[in-house]
Amino acid sequence: MQLTPLALIMMSVFAPAIAGLVTLFLPRDRTTPRTLIALVGLALPVAALLYFAQTLGVGAVEPASLTIPFVPSFNLDLAFNPDPLGMFFALLVAGVGTLIVLYARAYFGDDPDSLFRFYPTLGFFATAMLGVVLADNMLAMLLFWELTSVSSFLLIGWERNDRKAVRLAFQALAVTGMGGLALLGGIILLALATGEWSFSAAIPALAGPHESLPAANLIPWAFALMFLGGATKSAQWPFHFWLPGAMAAPTPVSAYLHSATMVKAGVYLFGRLSPAFLGVDFWAATLISVGALTMLLGAYLALRSTELKKIFAYTTVSQLGLFTCMFGLGAFTYHDEPNLVWPVTQILNHALYKAPLFLMAGAIAHAVHVKSLTGLRGFARTNPLLAWITLAAAYGLAAGPFTLSFAAKEAFLYQIYHAIEHEPLLWIVAGMAVLTSVCNVAIFVRFLTTFLARPDAEHAAEHHHDHDHAHDGWSVWLWLPALFIVAWQFAGGVAPSLIERFILPVETHALYWSHLPTVLDAIAHPSPPLAMSGVAVLLGVLVGVLPVLRRPVADPHDSIFPASVSFLSRTGWGVFSSIQTGNLRHYIYFTLTAFLLGMIAAALKDPAFLEWPALASLWAAPTGFIIASLCLVALVIAASLSLPIVNSRIVRVLMLGAVGMSVTGIYLIYEAPDLALTQLLFEIISIILFLLVLRMIPEEPPLAPVTGRIGRAAFSMIVGLAIGWTVLQAGAHADSSPGPAKLGDWFLTHAHYGSEQTNGRGGGGDNVVNVILVDFRGYDTLGETTVLAIAAMGIFSLIAAVPRRRRDRAHAVNPEWLTSSLLRTSMRLILPLGLLFAAYLFFKGHNEPGGGFIAGLVASVVLATYRMAKGPEALRRLLPIKPGALAATGLMIALATAVAPVAFGLPVLTSRTGDIPLAGADPFHFSTVVFFDLGVLIVVIAVSVGVINRLTEELET
Amino acid sequence: MTLLLAVIVTVIFAVGVYLLLGRELKGMAMGIFLLSHGANLGILAMSGQPVRLTATGPTPLGPPVLTEATQPVDPLPQALILTAIVISFAVTAFLLTLLVATFRRADHLGADELANDDRPTVLTTP
Repeated sequence: MQLTPLALIMMSVFAPAIAGLVTLFLPRDRTTPRTLIALVGLALPVAALLYFAQTLGVGAVEPASLTIPFVPSFNLDLAFNPDPLGMFFALLVAGVGTLIVLYARAYFGDDPDSLFRFYPTLGFFATAMLGVVLADNMLAMLLFWELTSVSSFLLIGWERNDRKAVRLAFQALAVTGMGGLALLGGIILLALATGEWSFSAAIPALAGPHESLPAANLIPWAFALMFLGGATKSAQWPFHFWLPGAMAAPTPVSAYLHSATMVKAGVYLFGRLSPAFLGVDFWAATLISVGALTMLLGAYLALRSTELKKIFAYTTVSQLGLFTCMFGLGAFTYHDEPNLVWPVTQILNHALYKAPLFLMAGAIAHAVHVKSLTGLRGFARTNPLLAWITLAAAYGLAAGPFTLSFAAKEAFLYQIYHAIEHEPLLWIVAGMAVLTSVCNVAIFVRFLTTFLARPDAEHAAEHHHDHDHAHDGWSVWLWLPALFIVAWQFAGGVAPSLIERFILPVETHALYWSHLPTVLDAIAHPSPPLAMSGVAVLLGVLVGVLPVLRRPVADPHDSIFPASVSFLSRTGWGVFSSIQTGNLRHYIYFTLTAFLLGMIAAALKDPAFLEWPALASLWAAPTGFIIASLCLVALVIAASLSLPIVNSRIVRVLMLGAVGMSVTGIYLIYEAPDLALTQLLFEIISIILFLLVLRMIPEEPPLAPVTGRIGRAAFSMIVGLAIGWTVLQAGAHADSSPGPAKLGDWFLTHAHYGSEQTNGRGGGGDNVVNVILVDFRGYDTLGETTVLAIAAMGIFSLIAAVPRRRRDRAHAVNPEWLTSSLLRTSMRLILPLGLLFAAYLFFKGHNEPGGGFIAGLVASVVLATYRMAKGPEALRRLLPIKPGALAATGLMIALATAVAPVAFGLPVLTSRTGDIPLAGADPFHFSTVVFFDLGVLIVVIAVSVGVINRLTEELET
Repeated sequence: MTLLLAVIVTVIFAVGVYLLLGRELKGMAMGIFLLSHGANLGILAMSGQPVRLTATGPTPLGPPVLTEATQPVDPLPQALILTAIVISFAVTAFLLTLLVATFRRADHLGADELANDDRPTVLTTP
């Protein structure tokens, strides 16, 4: 079978995650198969990528052939580009990952639960990281980038019950997550600036002349945001604090994510972008200054730490600063080439000594349960194997002669030295680099002197006690991976050609030296960088031996995150408690003030809003209308104004009714018979409800006089005027504006007969308002009916039904219902006539004023009157269904009518109309919307009668 | 006509807001009841006046029923208001029931006192 390049890359990226998922299907105690599957998941990418590089070449395959469209509308494709930089990082990730799988098996021993959790998370991370370094589409890269943050979060918070670990995990996620957000912004700006969404297209575009780009002015902002993204991920000052905090994770994680791979994602990004941003003025300045500062700060804090993992974490921070600085220095030129000297080797070198150091920290903790350097006096005597591997790796940290590290440090110093020719200020950076080296050498010297010292008596005893560990065949993997990796350090230092074989195909800037310099080359060609190294070694040995700078110090930056969190939560609480007072009145003030501000803004935007409309359009009306409406206005004003003044509750409710009745009159004047009928009936029922409720609440003693009445009145007046003014403007413009045809006109022409716009189908009714409700806006009416039914359910559950026993007792005491016998007798006439009238309105509704709502209300009023006259038992005999069940039935009928047309292949709520001929009478107009209206009618009756009945029952018992 | 409608809306809204800003819940319920009237009338104003201005003077329009001989008014605001009336009825009924339930729980209906009442809001049936 011939594997396509795309299949190879996809396999490389997704194999670790898939293998991790597969391990979940194994029983927990099957640790060996679990380890082997995870191992395959990470070894497969190594093999596939090496095969890819061998057969197809690095950077020779067009990214276009490695693309799967994913979400094209968001410009998000799964596009990959295994160019030298990406290929190097991918091999690093997969290669170190393979060793970490074995190390983790030894580290967690045969604790099946930990391994069960660890391998899937590790595979998830490896896939995410491979995606970051291989993705060509920038958004896809970001997607993987965020996944690495998530997996890092999961692994830092490995000890789920340790509050400190969880807090540190959250800190790391917050910092890198916010960086990811900035990166997203940067990617979007970069894509807008260049019009390209992939690295392989955007970077050459940026490297070319900027005049031809769509939006070159965005480039500095894109740079700033992308820098933030990379700086948070790669722990650059002032965001570096999360990385030492991340040491709460198990040691395999620290070795893998937090030194060898994930934290280099930011550095990878800088390397990827460096050709693009060379033209940006502050690229070099930002990267060099932030990088150099991070480099020195990390080294100093490492020197002032005693805990092993802390020391290695801070030296990692320092080294990440060096990489950032290195890419910044690349902005200068040397012999017409970017001033970058073996950058990929530089990054590889770090992994080759830092990963072993972390691995050994875990191994030492495993062997002797010591996590701090001060507890390891004489370690070389008690445990020579672990001690000497650790010292070999620490020698790499110190960049001693005959290590690859030496070459890397020389390369970096040469870079600074070359850049100084352009910018003498960089002597400061040279000084910082020397000081960093001093710290690194001093740390090595401390390790050496501590390990070789005479052991304290009690420590020695402890060490020997701890040797009775259960060792199985896997425990060699605690130190074997470290030994394997650190061997390459020395191989590269002694025989560079061994390393060059692998590194040259992926090295990006190897032009200054055709081969890696060894210490012998450096001594043969003495130059200022060699002198700097010499000074650093001398001072470093001095600092390491002398008892200075030994007391551990805390990094002041560690308080940044807790302080920001507590600042945010305190400020948030302050804002919250000043707005959310819990007092209803304040909410009303806030809301209405916002409304008034909106009105002011509208007036400022459109001054025509404040102009007085033409008088003719405000007054014109037949004389009779004017007199009637003036009376109504007087009535409304008088009744409304009496509401806040009058004390008697009954009078207030009646005044409220008076306002409602006047509004009914206004509807009549405005030629709205349906509205007038509905309003009239609802008003009757509402007033009955108000009276019932007021009777249930005893008269309260008047509250203490309210202060600030005048302010309250003034505020209300302003709100009233603002809304009244809006109404005036709206009404005047509705009349005068010649504007486009009103939507209402469309309904008028389509209410009965259709047009080609509606495929010839009309509403089939003459009462346009009713047709709009049941047909054009049928969904709306359905929703409204639902609201009504839900309100009814709420009401019935708020006031539970009176228990039957209590009800019967109450009626036994008061058997003869005290109403006038006149009313009781006349009910014989009122009930049938009223219900008949309701039925008439119901069937007529489609063509004339009426319909389900109105008919339901008429029936409700009749039934409520009947109940008043004859008592609850009579009503129960007449309407033996519980109101809740009745409401549900009505709603179901309406829903079923709405959905029924679907069975005939018609849209929801379609209706059919026809005239049924009646002998000796006008034909009977029948429409299927009658069933819909029937549901509405039943819900209305259930709600109105049910609520009135329930409240009256409460009063009677 | 529009002017009169605007005056009515102004008065209704002013009184409604005034009641809403009061200290007892009964008044607030009345305020909300008033506001729904005001809002409905505001929507009604958007249909324009129920007359048409012609050269010979104002001519009345008819209701939005097609069998009427006269020219009808805009039907859409009426349909919207009809929906709004029903909803406001549901709101009023629920609000009034809530008043009863609140009174049973707290023995008073003062808004300020309820704001400071930090008892758990468990409903008890009588």
